[in-house]
Amino acid sequence: MDFELSDDIKEAVVRAKEFANKYFTEEVAEKSDFNEEFPTDIVAISKKEKVLDFSNPWKVLVTIEELVRRDPGLGISVTISAFGAEIFMFFGNDAQKEKYMNPVFAGKRTLGLGVTEAGGGSDVAGIKCEARLDGDSYVLNGGKMFISNGQIADHFLVLARTSPPPSPEKKHKGLSVFVVDSKSPGFAINKLHGKLGVRATNTAELIFDNVRVPKEDMVGEEGKGFYYIMTFFNISRIYVAAQGLGIAHGALDRLIEYSKKYAPVSETGELNENLQLAIAEIATRVEATRNITYKAASYLFKFTPNPIVTSMAKFYAAETAVFATKRAIELMSLHGLTSDLERFFRDAKILDIWEGTTEVEKLIITRMMLKEGGA
Amino acid sequence: MEEEYEILENTVKDFNAKYVENNSIKFENESMGKEFVKLLADQGFFSMMGQSGEEVADVKTLSVVLENLAKSVPAVAVKTLLANSFLSLVKDPEVTEAVANGSKSGTVTFSDLLVGPGQNGSLLLSDGKIKGEKQFVVGSDSDFIVTLLDTGELVLLKSGFTAGKKLKRLGFRSIGFSAVNVNSSDYEVLSKEGRKELEKLYYQLSIPVAAISLGMSKAVSQKGLDYAKVRTAFGHYLKDFQPLAFELTSLIAETEILQRYFEVLISTSPSRKEAMFLKHKALALAKDISKTSLQIHGGYGYLEDFGIEKFYRDSMALSVLFHNEEHEMEVLSTLVFETKAGFV
Repeated sequence: MDFELSDDIKEAVVRAKEFANKYFTEEVAEKSDFNEEFPTDIVAISKKEKVLDFSNPWKVLVTIEELVRRDPGLGISVTISAFGAEIFMFFGNDAQKEKYMNPVFAGKRTLGLGVTEAGGGSDVAGIKCEARLDGDSYVLNGGKMFISNGQIADHFLVLARTSPPPSPEKKHKGLSVFVVDSKSPGFAINKLHGKLGVRATNTAELIFDNVRVPKEDMVGEEGKGFYYIMTFFNISRIYVAAQGLGIAHGALDRLIEYSKKYAPVSETGELNENLQLAIAEIATRVEATRNITYKAASYLFKFTPNPIVTSMAKFYAAETAVFATKRAIELMSLHGLTSDLERFFRDAKILDIWEGTTEVEKLIITRMMLKEGGA
Repeated sequence: MEEEYEILENTVKDFNAKYVENNSIKFENESMGKEFVKLLADQGFFSMMGQSGEEVADVKTLSVVLENLAKSVPAVAVKTLLANSFLSLVKDPEVTEAVANGSKSGTVTFSDLLVGPGQNGSLLLSDGKIKGEKQFVVGSDSDFIVTLLDTGELVLLKSGFTAGKKLKRLGFRSIGFSAVNVNSSDYEVLSKEGRKELEKLYYQLSIPVAAISLGMSKAVSQKGLDYAKVRTAFGHYLKDFQPLAFELTSLIAETEILQRYFEVLISTSPSRKEAMFLKHKALALAKDISKTSLQIHGGYGYLEDFGIEKFYRDSMALSVLFHNEEHEMEVLSTLVFETKAGFV
């Protein structure tokens, strides 16, 4: 067992730090947050400079962590362009990989994933969006909600029902995944405004009104879409855990900086114990989050994903991010409230919700443990 | 609750329904506008506290009003709290009349009590002028400001100051929050022992601040209850899922207990310790219950249209703008131990 990162991964950490230092200025971060504006220029530069090296998933993981540690909204915006691409990697055919996946990994295109609907967030199998076969194409009707890259993506991977479920208990059957061109006739996008946090990211509602999708743009086999999406979530949740790790570590950075500069000290000249213990607790949680996230990643990157550890990493990272930002603001008082930490606090809460709520992750852990006998 | 308070509660409910609820996003994020501030003043909400010269300020009626204003838009409650704080310290009839009737606005800076010495700017009186800068001023867009000089005097600034660049705004976004640059010869010294006077007011506000927290907790828990009864997932109403139902129920139990304690305190003459107990617990509860309610709402809770996320932001902002955890726990520990405690 070796807890040291290899030299090339360490190099990716340094590159991410340098990129964030150069481009994630407070002025840009604040403007993107205030105006709910996607940082198009910075994302373009990040693609040009190949900040995300998709040839090595460890590099992607540590890059997400470092960029988000500097600013969650900008960090997520920069690292979410290929969201969903692993579905092509594992289930797409060669033509789809060539046409859709490769341009995304090359930074030339942006991808989005349409799973969540207005009527059901966590309940993926309960989606209502339908795809009906009509000649050489499927016709999509319905909508998707809270879709990242909504106005930015060139294509979306969309989960839709292609056949009725065989029984109410088997709702997960009969779902399929399609590639939908954002310029398709009948496809409308409404940007969602007024988010609590991650306001630099672009989030939208998608509406499909008789949108035609060529048969060849179905990914994988008909009826296996639920399985594909769940497989993807076992990947993406690790990257969400890295987001949580970055946010929590960012909060810790700011609390330590505050402690050195402003914090009250006792008569013996040391930091007050209340603050010392809080720093220790946050630092320990950050370290625990990193270990569990990297453990989940090591399973995945060896192609032996462990959904129990993945869900543990995702929920624990989300809770740590929320906890760390909350405690840091409380302790830093007005200094925290008036610094970028307040943005971290707002941004952190989404991690408890997206890619499976914390409650859903916990249910997955227990149900799989009971079924399989342990993590 | 006494009949007098029930009548007051209904008055505020009617006021909320008529003037606040339809404008809640605007009043929270943008501006309340002069007309609305005048309406608040016309209700008599700005001058409910009396003068702080009295040993025990009359915070009871004010607290009932604040609790109920906070249920719709917490920023409106904070605006009202600031006006009352100001009027409790200022005696100049021309100024007090203008603030009480809503034609002018006034605020009090508490930042000297919330951050360490030298961390919130410097204001000095020299050659008949007050000069310098005060950081972290809530209500920096006001016409009058009561603030503390470095030398300890509490002063009323009537003119000769300007608000600086707006600071980041986690909560109460319609209320000015920035540094204030001062170059004023138009002032009045309110007290030579300004810090003592300011601290007295600060502790008198324990129950009103707790009341705002309680109002927020009640409003946001009601939203959670309502949503959990109608929203379904996996074929069941959210209310039927144990983790959600148990957590919300537990937090509502805390709210009810604190509400009873609040009612006891406002019908008696609470000690500083009791008032601080209430504030300490009510601030924490508002943060916890806002987080839970937001989680119940899922992605919708994250959007301002559903009126949940503002409670998540405001509950945290309130606990920083009118509260310093470490400092107050030191004071409270000393009251509990009946000897100096919480210091090394």
